[in-house]
Amino acid sequence: MAVSIRALPGRTAFLASVGFAYLIILAPLIAVFWVSFFRNKIIAFPPQGYTLAWFANAWSLDDFRNGFVLSLEVGIIATLGSLLIGVPAALALARHDFRGREAISAALMSPLIVPGIVAGTAVYMFYIEIETWTDVQLAATLPGLCLAHVVLALPWTVRLVTASLIGVNRLVEEAAMTLGAGPVKTLWRVTLPMIRPAIVAGGLFSFVVSFVDLEKSLFLVGPGRMTLPIAIINYLEWSIDPTIAAVATIQILIISAALLLTDRFVRLSRVF
Amino acid sequence: MRRGAGPPPSLLLSPAALVITLGLLLPMAMMFRFSLNRYSANELMTQALTLANYARFFSDPFYLGVLGKTIAVAMISTFVALVLGVPAAYFLARLSAPRLKSALILLTVIPLLMGNSVRTAGWMVLLGDRGLCNAILIFLGLTAEPVRILYTGKAVLIALVAAILPYMIISLQSVLEGIERVYEEAALTLGAHPATMFRRVLLPMLMPGIFSGSLLCFILAMNAYATPLLIGGPTFQMMAPLVYQQLTKVFDWPFASSMAFVLMAVTIISVVLSSVFVQRRYGRV
Repeated sequence: MAVSIRALPGRTAFLASVGFAYLIILAPLIAVFWVSFFRNKIIAFPPQGYTLAWFANAWSLDDFRNGFVLSLEVGIIATLGSLLIGVPAALALARHDFRGREAISAALMSPLIVPGIVAGTAVYMFYIEIETWTDVQLAATLPGLCLAHVVLALPWTVRLVTASLIGVNRLVEEAAMTLGAGPVKTLWRVTLPMIRPAIVAGGLFSFVVSFVDLEKSLFLVGPGRMTLPIAIINYLEWSIDPTIAAVATIQILIISAALLLTDRFVRLSRVF
Repeated sequence: MRRGAGPPPSLLLSPAALVITLGLLLPMAMMFRFSLNRYSANELMTQALTLANYARFFSDPFYLGVLGKTIAVAMISTFVALVLGVPAAYFLARLSAPRLKSALILLTVIPLLMGNSVRTAGWMVLLGDRGLCNAILIFLGLTAEPVRILYTGKAVLIALVAAILPYMIISLQSVLEGIERVYEEAALTLGAHPATMFRRVLLPMLMPGIFSGSLLCFILAMNAYATPLLIGGPTFQMMAPLVYQQLTKVFDWPFASSMAFVLMAVTIISVVLSSVFVQRRYGRV
């Protein structure tokens, strides 16, 4: 392989460009991570020393503590919701041929195409309209936020599980049926265990997509009830200090851990 | 294809279809209907069937300017991401050390899914007056006073490029993985200059990846919210923050709806145009 790279003219320029690309991708994440340990309250380089105090300080602030808990709650509910409705949908899409299959598949993937700000605007007005008609409040409530996040996570679950189902050797299922297992038992004991990696990865991915969402959630949170990314953005409008860096670092650690775990089940490069 | 009983597909699909309908399709349809309504300061929204909101958007130089700026920023950042993405994707696709390769893929995908709030915080740390970039510039003696980087258009571009670059790299890399190296080697063995080889052999085969990657990046940049708001500062206007303001501060639902639809339309038009182009030129991909 080295042949082709070495043969390029200006190999240094090539490698420098690769290095620069990864520098700007990683620099902001490394920077907040570093700053979150600075001892000085006002950010200045180089730091006067290091401390873990900002993490405790961040936890003592209501917005961040509540935001963290809310994001965790919404993330978990979105994960369970998207698995609960996404796995059956994937089974239907991968295993059955019926009229309108393409259209339904496109509809289930549509949250990937509609920009977060546009979807957020639409869902916010929809919730308010429902409230004026039925007195059921959805805007700025947990159920309303969770419904929006299930929609956000669903395409990833459907896509991962469908891909995995298509790769399953159907002879194994047929063998189970021939040996006397009913359809439900075959599904439960044969099919689902075979696609377990995709289910786990779909769940983890759903959690990540929900946890980091900013644009769509903006419209659906209420005063004193913000998700973590929104709490971060609101704080950043006023100041940037090691406390907010500590909060961002927590998010970096959670998301990295979830994605490293996902990668053990389904190669991340295949998710896209 | 239906073998073995099991539940019928309609039953399996209906929960998901219901959630998507209630959580996205119906709200979108309603928003389109609202964009044809009329707004008045005391009644907020009145039923109507008018294109006045769209006419207002496309006749006001302010809104046209914001739309133009948004498109321009999205195009420039997509182009820069493409220029930076090609070498990085090539490096990634042709890397033979499996461990290094999977590590690099993780380092591409993890930032991609990190969320815009964290990334924005990072750029504010890097680009502020007392940020790391200025500290380095002053340390090197290149400047005595901090240079203003944050709250400029340049800062927005840098941050946007960094945000969309991982998508570009992943899109290009997946296409490059499917192009066997024998083509490159044949061209080089036959005496082609590496630059000629890239232009005549690799680039034509890479085109589908360039299109899909650029499209994705353009859409993401068009709809950026946190980056223009926090890194561009209050005077740097792009479409997404403007839609948010219009809805939550001005309460002009019809106008906010039409703005959201303009934003969506630019996205859809570019998707359709590029897929038509790619299909005509390269067959179905």
